[in-house]
Amino acid sequence: MPPLSSLTTRPYPVTQHRLDNGLHVVISPDSATPTVAVNLWYDVGSRHEEPGRTGFAHLFEHLMFQGSANVASGEHFKLLQAAGASLNATTWFDRTNYFEALPTGGLELALWLEADRMASLAVTAENFATQREVVKEEKRQRYDNVPYGDVTERLVALTFPSDHPYGHTTIGSMADLDAAELSDVQTFFDRHYRASNAVLSVVGDITVDTALAAVEKYFGDLPALPKPPRPEAPPLPALTGVPRAEATADVPSDAVHFSYRTPARGTAEFDAFDLATTILGHGHTSRLHRRLVRRDELAESAGASSMALIGGNSFGFASARCRAGADPARVESILVAEIEQFIADGPTDEELQRAKATFERWWLQSLSRIDSRADQFSGYALLEGDPELVNHRIAAVNRIDAAAVQQAAAAHLAPDQRAVLTYRRSADTAANQENQS
Amino acid sequence: MTPRNHEGGRPPSNPDTNAQNQEGGRPPSTPDTNAQNQEGGRPPSTPDTNERASRVRPEVAAPTPWPFPRPERHQLSNGITVLLYDLPGQHVISTSLVLDHSLAAEPGPYEGITAMVARTLTEGTTAHPGERFAELLENQGAAIGADVDQSGTQVMMDVPATRLAAAMPLLAEVVRLPGLTDSDVRRQVDLRLADLAQLRANSAATAGIEYRRRVVDTAARAGRPAGGEDAQVSTLTGALVRDWASKLLVPAATTVVVGGDLGDASAVLDLVESCFGDWNGPAPSVVHPTPGAGLPGCTIIDRPGSVQADLRLGGWAVDRFDTRWPALRVASYAIGGSFNSRINTVLREEKGYTYGARVAFTPLRSGGWWAAQGSFRTEVVGDAIATARDLLDVTVAPFTADEVRDAQQYFTGASPLQYATADGVVDQAALQLMMGLPDDYLDQSLAQVLSVTPQLATEAYATIVDTEQLTCVVVGDAEALEPQVRAAGLEPTVVPIES
Repeated sequence: MPPLSSLTTRPYPVTQHRLDNGLHVVISPDSATPTVAVNLWYDVGSRHEEPGRTGFAHLFEHLMFQGSANVASGEHFKLLQAAGASLNATTWFDRTNYFEALPTGGLELALWLEADRMASLAVTAENFATQREVVKEEKRQRYDNVPYGDVTERLVALTFPSDHPYGHTTIGSMADLDAAELSDVQTFFDRHYRASNAVLSVVGDITVDTALAAVEKYFGDLPALPKPPRPEAPPLPALTGVPRAEATADVPSDAVHFSYRTPARGTAEFDAFDLATTILGHGHTSRLHRRLVRRDELAESAGASSMALIGGNSFGFASARCRAGADPARVESILVAEIEQFIADGPTDEELQRAKATFERWWLQSLSRIDSRADQFSGYALLEGDPELVNHRIAAVNRIDAAAVQQAAAAHLAPDQRAVLTYRRSADTAANQENQS
Repeated sequence: MTPRNHEGGRPPSNPDTNAQNQEGGRPPSTPDTNAQNQEGGRPPSTPDTNERASRVRPEVAAPTPWPFPRPERHQLSNGITVLLYDLPGQHVISTSLVLDHSLAAEPGPYEGITAMVARTLTEGTTAHPGERFAELLENQGAAIGADVDQSGTQVMMDVPATRLAAAMPLLAEVVRLPGLTDSDVRRQVDLRLADLAQLRANSAATAGIEYRRRVVDTAARAGRPAGGEDAQVSTLTGALVRDWASKLLVPAATTVVVGGDLGDASAVLDLVESCFGDWNGPAPSVVHPTPGAGLPGCTIIDRPGSVQADLRLGGWAVDRFDTRWPALRVASYAIGGSFNSRINTVLREEKGYTYGARVAFTPLRSGGWWAAQGSFRTEVVGDAIATARDLLDVTVAPFTADEVRDAQQYFTGASPLQYATADGVVDQAALQLMMGLPDDYLDQSLAQVLSVTPQLATEAYATIVDTEQLTCVVVGDAEALEPQVRAAGLEPTVVPIES
């Protein structure tokens, strides 16, 4: 049967502009619904944090909702939600993003609010202290009170030196959050929050001219300040010596995690590596799932993934959660064997086509909403310099051949380049579980 | 627009990398159940140093209602109903097979058997046994999953539009020729038991399960996990599961929903006909019972060493058919749905007790419940409960015109984006089928929301929320929690956490 539709490769319109103050503006009209997405990426994340101030970029992101020259604390959310907006902000290793999507009649309000907090901050000692507590509760809720909640922190510590930009997590440490001071806030704002250090994307039911005029109206009078330098981040070579860590906690199952230093995003090598992790560890047809979950029945789950970063290296991961009675050492040896086999044989043609088809669906879905599309435009503009790349991702991935995938795996997934975290359930937990059964 | 209560969900998208674990700024606020703030503070006076021209806040044009798409409705030659939603620009097609059933019909010793059918369905078919089935499906870039609710099951598939024709026959195989082999069922039983152990180890999951168990009448299936619990799940066999599947997976109980950029809709209909039109089987009679309310009371589930406590505080409520539902949506937004809701403003933004507190109404097909909820550091739980109880009582502070207007504008403005994607529309359409709601439910509901007055919101809310008759579950370190909970005026029973 012929394809029912062949529209999937139609490019999204993209225009780029730079205001005199350096703000990089991306505009992409889409009139499917009477809505608009406003999305800002600032070139500041946890990799820009100072020693002793881990977690500060994220704490700062919370403070951006506490008011600015013309906006009272709490008003940002109140005004936008009452205009029908969904909004939020997130912080990650490489960047901080702020975003809202709402009916088109609220576009100017959204731009005004974002411009006001790019221009000024109005954080008091009181709301600084309160947001510090909120962030500590976030850390407890998402990491400290959750089984296996410290896996990322432990893998990060195994993979990069503590003074490396990627050597600590974005959530940071309680001690550093406690040590943060109000004076750090203005310093951080002055250093990183400026037009030249941001990308603003506007996607939705607008024309290029009206959107650009509105952006100019609200952001145009922000000062022209030079873009701050990025942290030095030469690529680090692969790990050697198989660094290991063990954790024991009150968790239901043992688990084995591998971590790797891998190529930075924005390279064909990263994309090839990403396909390798898909084939090894994503979905029911992946090699690790078939072997460990389905055939040998030694694992509850098994997978592999890559985590794209721009600063010289990314992370690669592989892991399995052991079923009751399965020895983590045995599960680890099978993970190693499957990865070695993949490096030796490379992907089959069918595996490679399947990984590409999976990527295509995932990528199209991530572009299906104007808010997530705006986020991709901002991301590619900020980190890789070109939002147009969004329109060429499927073609770029489809160009990668089996040899490139095999080569990327050999170069970056070899077992002697891994770090290993073995997570064991405590003896008490094990005894309780056995008593139950 | 409706908070879903399922154990599954649409299949996850691929491993991205960068979007997965980032530190979220705020917990997402839930539509359907949302709140707003008092007309708090004017902006501070503008500093003299601010020379910027754009100091004046722009006006917002009030959002206008956006109609939820209407489907083309068709019938296949065997009577199966098909809903087609043509959504230009949506290049990933979402398909749901919506199966009408009630979990209340599951045999008591085998609760969870419907979910066991659902989770084993995608492990292989008789036409393509074993791993080959998943290979063929993923070769098309398709993702498939099943989602079991008290009043229906969805078998869902997402696939690029260019590959729909190749993938649809595979989706049909899942329900028409399921493998459900002994070894697949045995493995899935073990994996469900492992999932249950993981859920018990998770404080928030435990709070949700244990609250539901108490807020619903103990006789009702709706109070217990859709996926079943250890004692029942561990008795399931391949033979039992295949027998149950033969009653569950029948054309008379099935509706097919397809949404996305369909191009030639008649070709899509022909495709669905060719995959499902010659499927025959018995017609079951499906009854959807009305569960009753549970009992008020407070339970602390002891999780020694926890650094936070997960709190659920609420009671029995109503479903979407209740005439108070539109007013409750507005009230819910104001008390605990929006970021600036009364409860989040005080417990998060003023006191810093939590990453986020909210109030959610969870409507079933018939009946439902509400809960105030959040995770709080252990030391402040007593004060959080006392504060929440005070805030939940609106008799002293009825909902204001500003709160009601903000809620109405939010619901009006948020819907076009919420239902802009194929999976957003298809999930909502499937929900409507499972809940017995009409195709234009959202439009009717919004029109009713827009006619809610502050007085109606306050009155409806006050008939449901009784702060003297609360069902409360706290999961955390009981030794530290018990005195605080008593001091807050509740009489807790402490029970150990199962491991």
